[in-house]
Amino acid sequence: METILALRDLEVQYYSNRKTIRAVNGLSLDMHKGKVLGLVGETGAGKTTLALSILNMIRAPQGKITAGNIRFAGNDVLTMNKHELRNMRGKDVAMIFQDPMTALNPVLTVGDQIAETVLRHEGVSKEAAWKTAETMLETVGIPADRAREYPHQFSGGMKQRVVIALALACNPKLLLADEPTTALDVTIQAQVLDLMRKLIKEQGTSVLFITHSLGLVAENCDEVATMYAGEIVEFGSVKQLFGNPLHPYTKGLFGSLPDLSAVSERLKPIPGLMPDPTNLPSGCFFSPRCPFATEICHNTHPVDIDVEGHMVKCHLYTKKGGKA
Amino acid sequence: MSARSPITDTPMTDTPILRVKNLKKYFHVAKGNLHAVDDVSFDISKGKTLGMVGESGCGKSTTGRLLVRLHESTSGSIIYDGTEVTSATVRDMGMLRTCMQMIFQDPYSSINPRHTVASIIGEPLKIHKKVHNNLEYEERVRQLMTTVGLAERLYDAYPHELDGGRRQRIGIARALALDPEFIVCDEPVSALDVSIQAQILNLLMNLQEKLGLTYLFITHDLSVVKHISDDIVIMYMGQIVERGPTEELFKKPIHPYGQALLSAIPIPKLNSKRDRIILKSEVSSPINPKPGCRFAPRCAYAQPECSTADPALREVSPGRFAACRLAEQFV
Ligand SMILES: Nc1ncnc2c1ncn2[C@@H]1O[C@H](COP(=O)(O)OP(=O)(O)OP(=O)(O)O)[C@@H](O)[C@H]1O
Ligand SMILES: Nc1ncnc2c1ncn2[C@@H]1O[C@H](COP(=O)(O)OP(=O)(O)OP(=O)(O)O)[C@@H](O)[C@H]1O
Ligand SMILES: [Mg+2]
Ligand SMILES: [Mg+2]
Repeated sequence: METILALRDLEVQYYSNRKTIRAVNGLSLDMHKGKVLGLVGETGAGKTTLALSILNMIRAPQGKITAGNIRFAGNDVLTMNKHELRNMRGKDVAMIFQDPMTALNPVLTVGDQIAETVLRHEGVSKEAAWKTAETMLETVGIPADRAREYPHQFSGGMKQRVVIALALACNPKLLLADEPTTALDVTIQAQVLDLMRKLIKEQGTSVLFITHSLGLVAENCDEVATMYAGEIVEFGSVKQLFGNPLHPYTKGLFGSLPDLSAVSERLKPIPGLMPDPTNLPSGCFFSPRCPFATEICHNTHPVDIDVEGHMVKCHLYTKKGGKA
Repeated sequence: MSARSPITDTPMTDTPILRVKNLKKYFHVAKGNLHAVDDVSFDISKGKTLGMVGESGCGKSTTGRLLVRLHESTSGSIIYDGTEVTSATVRDMGMLRTCMQMIFQDPYSSINPRHTVASIIGEPLKIHKKVHNNLEYEERVRQLMTTVGLAERLYDAYPHELDGGRRQRIGIARALALDPEFIVCDEPVSALDVSIQAQILNLLMNLQEKLGLTYLFITHDLSVVKHISDDIVIMYMGQIVERGPTEELFKKPIHPYGQALLSAIPIPKLNSKRDRIILKSEVSSPINPKPGCRFAPRCAYAQPECSTADPALREVSPGRFAACRLAEQFV
């Protein structure tokens, strides 16, 4: 498998009120050509931060990549100059932002925004760029006669679809999709995902698919990573992770889901909240909430353990014969 | 069968606290009149949850905003607990604004980025003079933060410092600040991971049980809507195409759009791909729509007659409503 993106020992911090927020903590991850990697995890786990880091978009003085390195198609992203970065962003690596309004310009019509991106990266005529914009809008289910409207005239899901059209317009090699379909109904979601799959098949695009929907992961991803407090705590194929979730946090996620086939009174969330990222606990970051935690969990930070090609960061599996 | 209300033809077993009748909202856009909400009627009984689902852009948020009068309606009536919202006086509106709240779909655009978390949550308390001094104010804000699971250390934080999920919870805390009776929940949990989502859903359900709150719950997540709603309406291009009790509707949707929608739910299990109804992606525009069923261009069952007149929402079998000429065959 060809590696398109390699993250090594990445650390990202934010600074606020003289406190240091440890958003990403020594994270390593590989992404392969033509594969979809699902990234799930708690609100605030650092998923968006991770995606922004790949584009080198963590802005000082609010935040900083403090350690580690990022290689995209063999190139070191953290040492790229402005020009190289601009070429990479939007063209080779496109991001579908979680918040559509960070990607949309409120004073430009949606058609113009897509056409402008196409113009900048593809070197085509103005007319051709506008045509592409209209086609892209239709592909995401927005009639072309609405291309001259402004973002504020669109519903939440329609804005999100414009952002998707914008990201896909230049056929990126790597797509960072941050909650790309949360605001969409399931039928349009299915259409958008079909489009994404087509891109993967035809162009060998790789996708980082950040989502809270385990259903979407099961149906669209090849591999899954679970993130908690800035770390990957479990990594495996979809089959491994759904067939046999190992980390107590991943297990808790499955337990929290409303079940479509049953009538249940109350859901069973994982008790408690994520640790304060300005003051992470010693030992395993999940230990304060973990029903299986023992003394070692509170004192020693766990390392990655390999359980038959399925990675988990949890002391429970050292005892059970996993290899560190 | 129990008696039926002459207005909306729903059973009168519970008294509706909210009655919406023939509600319309048209926006004027460059190309004409955009029919965002086009003749919508429904009731919600006190203490119940009505789930609202439908295609993106079909008018759900606009309906919600009309209810709390963040938009002026083009025509139609909204009666909340005996008061006509669409023509309420400034004084009545002041009262209504404390009973009716909205949790906004978009946590980014609905909160002021220059205000701290505490001042966003506490603002309604000040506007409506619900607290008498600073101590009381701070206490109430901290209590609201705890209720929605926001750590106290975030009291003075700014929204941009928070992740998507925590920003969403600011909106929920703010909506709860005035102890409302009725809340329009517009995608309140979509930005949250499933565990926090479960915490918030449980919270909303506990509040409902304890305080008798009434919800209009808008979401794309069908397993969430099934979990929380007593009844469901399905919208398509500004109109309600199907309505019914949750359990029955999920067992067997009787409108072709409802069928397509429910068949597309992603299931969090391995190899669970079921028979999906893939809709033709032909899209019609809500600007100056032609008469006739708006779903017909994408409907597998459509016949020429479907495109001649708007199908009315009618009771196809007891308690089950659909706006489709052919609905009988799906019962
Ligand atoms: N600009 C910023 N300044 C300060 N702190 C920040 C900033 N951006 C993010 N953070 C903090 O960094 C941590 C990680 O945030 P991030 O947005 O990456 O989480 P996430 O996993 O994407 O969450 P969600 O699922 O809710 O979108 C959180 O604690 C968040 O509050
Ligand atoms: N201020 C506005 N001006 C013009 N058109 C608008 C405005 N607000 C909404 N619309 C249009 O009204 C229609 C309904 O929008 P609405 O936001 O109610 O949809 P929705 O069902 O909430 O969609 P979503 O699920 O994507 O949030 C859309 O076609 C939208 O573009
Ligand atoms: Mg995020
Ligand atoms: Mg909406």
